[in-house]
Amino acid sequence: MIAPAAIMIFLFFLMPVVLTAIFAMTNMSTATGISGGAWQVTQGAINRLKADMPDLAGGIAEPRFVIDEEGLAALEALKIKAGFSIELRTSHMGEVFPSRREAERMIKALKDRPSTREVKQISDLFNRSVLNTRFENRDGLMASLNKLGFTLTPAEQETVAAATYTGWVWTTENFKIIGNSPDMAQIFLNTAFYVSVTLLLFNVSYALFLAITTHYMPASTASIFRAIWLLPRITPVVIYVLMWKWLTWDSGFISMFMGQFGYPVKNYLLDSAYNAWFFVILINGFIGASMGMLVFSSAIKAIPQTQFHASEVDGASRWQQVRHVILPQLRWPILFVTCYQTLSLLASFNEILLSTRGGPGRATEVWSLAAYHTALNNYTGNLEYGLGAAMALVLVVVGIVLSLIYLRIFRYDTLISKPLIED
Amino acid sequence: MTVLPILKSATLAAILFASTAVFASAKDVTISVWSGGSGPNDNYRTDAFDIAADILEREAAIRGEQLNIIVQKTPYSGWEDFKQALTLAAEAKKAPNIVATGHEDIGPWAQAGLIVPVEKFIDLDSWPISDIYPNLMEITSFNGAVYGIPQDAESRPFFFWKPYMKEIGYSDADIEALPAKVEKGEYTLKNVLEDAKKMQDKGLVQAGYGFYPRNSNGPDYWQFYTSFGGVMEEEGKLVFDKAAMKRTYQYFADLVKAGVTKKNHIGMPGDQWWKEVATGKAGIWHGGTWHYARLVNQEGLKDFFNNVQFTLIPAGEGGKSNTLTHPLAYLLMAGHTDEATRIAADLIKIASEPRINALHAIKSAHLGISPSETKVDLYSADRWASEATERLLPHANAMPNNADFGKYWTIMWKNLEASWTGAKTVDAAVNDAETELKSTLGAAIIIR
Repeated sequence: MIAPAAIMIFLFFLMPVVLTAIFAMTNMSTATGISGGAWQVTQGAINRLKADMPDLAGGIAEPRFVIDEEGLAALEALKIKAGFSIELRTSHMGEVFPSRREAERMIKALKDRPSTREVKQISDLFNRSVLNTRFENRDGLMASLNKLGFTLTPAEQETVAAATYTGWVWTTENFKIIGNSPDMAQIFLNTAFYVSVTLLLFNVSYALFLAITTHYMPASTASIFRAIWLLPRITPVVIYVLMWKWLTWDSGFISMFMGQFGYPVKNYLLDSAYNAWFFVILINGFIGASMGMLVFSSAIKAIPQTQFHASEVDGASRWQQVRHVILPQLRWPILFVTCYQTLSLLASFNEILLSTRGGPGRATEVWSLAAYHTALNNYTGNLEYGLGAAMALVLVVVGIVLSLIYLRIFRYDTLISKPLIED
Repeated sequence: MTVLPILKSATLAAILFASTAVFASAKDVTISVWSGGSGPNDNYRTDAFDIAADILEREAAIRGEQLNIIVQKTPYSGWEDFKQALTLAAEAKKAPNIVATGHEDIGPWAQAGLIVPVEKFIDLDSWPISDIYPNLMEITSFNGAVYGIPQDAESRPFFFWKPYMKEIGYSDADIEALPAKVEKGEYTLKNVLEDAKKMQDKGLVQAGYGFYPRNSNGPDYWQFYTSFGGVMEEEGKLVFDKAAMKRTYQYFADLVKAGVTKKNHIGMPGDQWWKEVATGKAGIWHGGTWHYARLVNQEGLKDFFNNVQFTLIPAGEGGKSNTLTHPLAYLLMAGHTDEATRIAADLIKIASEPRINALHAIKSAHLGISPSETKVDLYSADRWASEATERLLPHANAMPNNADFGKYWTIMWKNLEASWTGAKTVDAAVNDAETELKSTLGAAIIIR
């Protein structure tokens, strides 16, 4: 019976983490591609080779098109018009062209007037340089270099291969970047602030407040209040955040209202880092509070009514009831909500993305949003999958560590041990 | 009684059969085209291919071939989502045939093998490619190979709201002479700050509206770095000029400090920005030549030339006046059959013909890509296109095509934003940028 569960856990919980960890150990980005690279002698590669192998770098730096026997043989094998190879052999044998364009100018002027397609086909056959050619495997590049007269030792081959490889490589550099960047430290602090404040003020305290106050209300009034507090949760998040924007924009409600008292129009959401945080926490807190409210309300419902009656007979005030009857029995739900909401606050960024996009000036950029921006969505289109995955991995580790700490603080072992009375 | 239905279905079957036979004999080729940053005025970035396909089909018909091109157009209005979608589609081997994007993508995409050089498919000596401005062709080249065909050109001017300039003491003649003064370096970024302040002090514009920059990241901000003497690339290596970058960061911090630019300006809603500059809520701002189209067509600023003066980006300390051209380029994506790519290349070539490109240039207020385009009636009769070409384009720089430029840009921008909003001091921002550039780019960038 454990096998299906194990497979599920592996597929849906472990695989993403494992994949993230694998990505995190690479320098994958838009430029390196995901699926692997090729070997290509580019200007950049030549610059890298200049220090170690100046001769080679100098020898392969220029494009070269040579009309030679090998190319003519290949051209004849193509079986396009015979006139091309005859004319090339008689009038152009041995000519060298320093660029594709110049070689093609000559080819184009052949008496048989090759079409553009044929010109391209012919010029490719006489390309005698490795510059800018993408070799799908390393041996292809080495063989071509060999043909050009560069016989390389295995060590030299290694250097050339490393300098010309366009794909990603294994690296631990991402973690060094995360560790050393002052911006990452700032984002980490942002995240800690955002998670702890939202969690403490709304997801736990405010939810508890709602649950307890509605508990003491008549049932019908209580359900109206609970339904109202569920609205943020059940409204689609895009619409929910849009309503906050209407409230806070330059031309929004707050701005218009304050305008009545002579305050200049301004964007309250993005006016300053304080404002942005204030609204980001409210936006998330209102959603988060509803979940805690539901969990706590039902937990309070589960407390036997007799305990409330007995405490009232003993003359307990409302506060004393809360303190001595309700709270002690809510330890489990509080643990659950704290733990669950910490993890979900750490990982979720959609409300921030939709409201402030991490602004103003990256003030509300939290870790998961920064990972998303780094790996998948930024203006320059430079998607750094490796670095983004490393950031996500940090989040996984933080989440696990925090969960363990919570279990410790709430003394999880005593919560699941058998009641002494039944021994 | 049963004959009729049988006859009916037989006829139907015959028609169906015949129609498939007709389709089968024609060669159907689907060419998909995506474009980034394409608003309502930029539809010809993709629509040009409808015209090009029509011409190519007719050419094929004359040669006796039957070619049927289906053009699938996907314009994106923004950049972030477009680049994300395109990169991931290409990685999943679902790339479009043609893409119109900023030339700076050529570096990383070429390295990743997402694009193929157009010079492999297009004869560069043939018309209209041979006619395209050589400096634009240079901008779409990488590693010595021509990867893209310039799709448009533009440049990015400073704009001044004329009525307010008059209110703070400029005569009509002064305003007329302003572009020349800016070009010579006699009117600088310092004067911009002062004039913006004057406009606010006189109550002509609200606080924070004196100088009203672009509301989001963009190539525009490299112009300020250039104004303050910065260089982006030298001989294939990126350059971080610390002093110039510091002066750039300091300038925006000073603007905020003087109250002429809002601290929270970045990230404000774009629609609001447009409406405000079109209605004279801002005194001085900067943008691109294409802003003319939006201001006049969408925002209702009918009398542009009587209300707005435009100049190069004024010089700052240690630099000179300049502007930046950020041409989009048509690129051929990898992963298609040679046949499809060849057709795509032919389409690009036709779409680059002066008359077709002029449709885009004039509708979107971009600049032409070739001298002959400026002789097309539609183009030469347009006051904005001719004035902007003459005043700005000779002074235009471009961002480098370098596989690492995106990283540099991201780091440069986030620290500019941080010093602008006061999240970091200018010194801290420049130092952070330096630290991060060193650790991420290492030897690929010269820091001075």
